[in-house]
Amino acid sequence: MLELQGLTKHFGGVRAVEKVDLSVAQGEILGLIGPNGSGKSTIVNLICGLFPLTDGRVLLHGTDISDLPPHARVTLGIARTFQNIRLFGQLTVWQNLWVAQNSGEQFGQENFLRRWLGGSRRARGEIDRTLEFFDLAHKSDELAANLAFGEQRRLEFARALAAKPSLVLLDEPAAGMNAEEIDQLDRRIRMLRDDGVTILLIEHHVELVMSVADRIAVLNFGQKIAEGAPADVQANPLVREAYLGTATAA
Amino acid sequence: MDFLDLIDALQSLADGVLFGATYALLGIGFTLIFGVMHKINLSFAAASIGAAYASLLILAGVKAPPALVFLAAAGCGGVIGGLVYLIGFRFIPLANPLATLMSTVGLLLLIDEIIVHTTAGVPLNYPALFSDVIIRAGPFNLRGDLMFVFLLGCLCMVLLLMLLYRTRLGLATRAMSQQPVAAELCGISNTKVNILTFVTTGIVGGIAGAMIGAAIGMLSPLLSLPLTVKGLIVTVIGGLGSIPGAIIAGLLVGGLENLFQYWRGVSERDLYIMLLLFVFLVFRPGGLFAPATARD
Repeated sequence: MLELQGLTKHFGGVRAVEKVDLSVAQGEILGLIGPNGSGKSTIVNLICGLFPLTDGRVLLHGTDISDLPPHARVTLGIARTFQNIRLFGQLTVWQNLWVAQNSGEQFGQENFLRRWLGGSRRARGEIDRTLEFFDLAHKSDELAANLAFGEQRRLEFARALAAKPSLVLLDEPAAGMNAEEIDQLDRRIRMLRDDGVTILLIEHHVELVMSVADRIAVLNFGQKIAEGAPADVQANPLVREAYLGTATAA
Repeated sequence: MDFLDLIDALQSLADGVLFGATYALLGIGFTLIFGVMHKINLSFAAASIGAAYASLLILAGVKAPPALVFLAAAGCGGVIGGLVYLIGFRFIPLANPLATLMSTVGLLLLIDEIIVHTTAGVPLNYPALFSDVIIRAGPFNLRGDLMFVFLLGCLCMVLLLMLLYRTRLGLATRAMSQQPVAAELCGISNTKVNILTFVTTGIVGGIAGAMIGAAIGMLSPLLSLPLTVKGLIVTVIGGLGSIPGAIIAGLLVGGLENLFQYWRGVSERDLYIMLLLFVFLVFRPGGLFAPATARD
């Protein structure tokens, strides 16, 4: 469903992402890993349109979306979470989801007043269900800024789902989580996949990626150096080299 | 100070607080735009006076009853607000903090010039509503036109707060002021929110302009600069970006201004208001309600 063709991004002289080809199939979980500074987050930012591309194309369902502004891409069904949490701190948990809900296709058909002033009962029901799924229902009236760290991470994820996206980009969702929280995250990612949501998972926590991803792509210095099933990627000498360095270099 | 003196002082304080509703609306306009764009729109007060002038023009054209002047001013204010955004912000590099400051100063002067040229600089009478009504409360007199201005101001504030805190549109606006990138990635178009904010504040400003015209009975191009200063003072005292702060600071500045005028005369009045600003800048630079800064 999502295809990156020759994706390239240079920041001045820095080649953050260099000619990356990558495709994500409908309904799969694709893990994207790589050492620090290998360009993972830049790729996420390029997919959602935060910076213009230096070269290449981003296709969604075969349509070129490279020139669309970020908010328009959300309307087409791409949602994301942030590595450094970016919640609307002075809005309640419930309101964080309500605000994010406006762009889903099914909500776009509501008339302007209903959409911007009130919101339908069905839409409200969806929010309650999403909060239930992330075990945040009892916090729905708290300000997001007052939540504990783990809850904020869950709310980030919940907010990304509010607009019913078909593709979710998870940027290091497990950062700072303990083992139990990572277990729950693992379970939730699988349940979403079973619901038909496609997921691009960028993660440092290799165990999580190995366990949950259907396929894994590995980046190093802005280039894709490996792609395949978790076991194959793990056995790939290039990948080991990228993470551990070669014998001579070390 | 004898008893009669005290009564008079309290009377001026009360009149000032009632008139302060207009300052509160101006402060809200400055503060809302700052909250959303982190920019100061220096042309806001001039645009508000401009909207009041435009409403006179419309009224003269269609022979509508004077009560509609407020509605006309609100509409004109919305249109002018949208234009201010298009001219002074949309195509100006926002990364340069001085660029929009300069463009809005330019707009302030432009609006003033347009007013001066179309009216030949002569002050125009503005219709006041309920100016013949005087409510007696013990030793005090409450002027009907000021009461009307005050109540209209309160109504505007309540509606605005409901819009901002109870509707998705308002929440989207606040979300954008807290986390612009995340809001954009929740499908909220920053440009659309900016336009809407300018139109909304323009409407508020237009009503404020009409209220000022109605309270003092006339409009003059000489109003816009002092009102710009008052609006900014109210915004700073209230806390940049805080709406409740702007409301309270507006009423406070209005009340104190009249009190200082009663004690020290009109020529010294603004001196003390500036002193008040100075005290706030030194001892409470964040204002009455410094808004919580979002952590990143």
